[in-house]
Amino acid sequence: MTLEILDPTHESDARVFLPAKRLASLEGKTVAIVSNGKKGTQPFFAAFERELTGRYGVARVVRLTKSNYSAPVEAELLNDAERWHALVAGVGD
Amino acid sequence: MTIVSSDARSTPLQRSKRYTVDDAIAAQEFFHARGWTDGLPVVPPTEEAVQACLDWVLMPAGQLVGIEPVRQRAITAEKLAVNAVMAGCLPMHFPVVVAAFTAMLREPFLLHGATASTGGCAVLIVVNGPVRHELGMSGTFNALGSSDRATSVIGRAIRLILCNLLDARPGEVDRSTLGHPGKFSYCVAEDEEHTAWLPLAGERGVPPLVSAVTVMAAGAPRQFMNEWTTQPEQILDTAVAEIKANMRNYSIWPGNYAIVLPPQLRAHFEHANWSKADIRRYVFENALVHRRDWAECGKGSVVGERGDREYAAFETPEDVLVIAAGGPAGGFGAVIPPWYGNKSRAVTLAIGACVDCKA
Repeated sequence: MTLEILDPTHESDARVFLPAKRLASLEGKTVAIVSNGKKGTQPFFAAFERELTGRYGVARVVRLTKSNYSAPVEAELLNDAERWHALVAGVGD
Repeated sequence: MTIVSSDARSTPLQRSKRYTVDDAIAAQEFFHARGWTDGLPVVPPTEEAVQACLDWVLMPAGQLVGIEPVRQRAITAEKLAVNAVMAGCLPMHFPVVVAAFTAMLREPFLLHGATASTGGCAVLIVVNGPVRHELGMSGTFNALGSSDRATSVIGRAIRLILCNLLDARPGEVDRSTLGHPGKFSYCVAEDEEHTAWLPLAGERGVPPLVSAVTVMAAGAPRQFMNEWTTQPEQILDTAVAEIKANMRNYSIWPGNYAIVLPPQLRAHFEHANWSKADIRRYVFENALVHRRDWAECGKGSVVGERGDREYAAFETPEDVLVIAAGGPAGGFGAVIPPWYGNKSRAVTLAIGACVDCKA
């Protein structure tokens, strides 16, 4: 005898988060980096910042750090987001 | 195996996609192949079984239980019920599952962080009140193991819900380095009958005779033993030693720690007229370490210039969760540490009742 069974997974929100529009170039742009605050992010994002400015011509890098690395970024940290061309949210351990 | 799928979301009570499989054995492989289980067999979630759970709690399938705050995922009663059935829950178990997950959705619990962290915690569920009797829960023998059907399947339901509704599967959202066996199921009913102490939920504001759950993002139990004293302070010194060891070896940050005390140890406290509040106060005052202690366990490189700095395990005595549970013989207690200090807070919620609603 066949069985009809129900799907146990979340089925409905694949469209909620879409990739942001990609920039054609980073030249002269302002890029923000949000760190989760763990110690390991410091050298990694420092190197990343050097790459952005030295290799890709990024004009300005804004460095932000969450107060709780297990929680979403605080809304106030993103107050200036409209003035940035790109934002990188990274985790590190 | 014949598998037929149909999208039947057009009718109100048929929100989940349906699949037709040959039989219950085929259903196992169907679920395992899709990563929808915890590796153990599941009960096939048929519409009848799921509907019976919904009927028990008087919830329509599409009722919104809550929204997961980070990814904004709407959690419906039907989806909770599907996973509860899979875990082996009967309809009468479902109210506890709903209450536990609702509590986990409360902001202080920090659900996403707790379930995604490399720290590898599990969700400890402590059940209080009359529902323990209705469900045949046992807070005695093997209280932190598979003591009875209800605690086993309720704890498992929470894990399956996390996997299937929030993608907290190993290597996906769940980034645990190690995890621990409590991830299969981590539910305990407090042994309220063999103690004069207030139940945990009562200490946390739930009125008497109201059933409740307390959820805590928790590490694995650290068992201790002290059968060599009758003095409450000395028994608690053993528990405090476990807390200090956790602070040195795992995380130094303050948070909720649960202390599980069995009858043999409780007898000494009760003989000395120690309440749970007395226990909380003693542990709060004594669970302290210094940063220099890290040097004794291989972490000397991070002591720095602040070796004399003192760290407390608790910000307030209320952060200590004292739970009466365990079999009648044995001076074995347990300390259950927090996932990562106070990033996540234990949350207590009444089951099927609002105890703070305005009339």
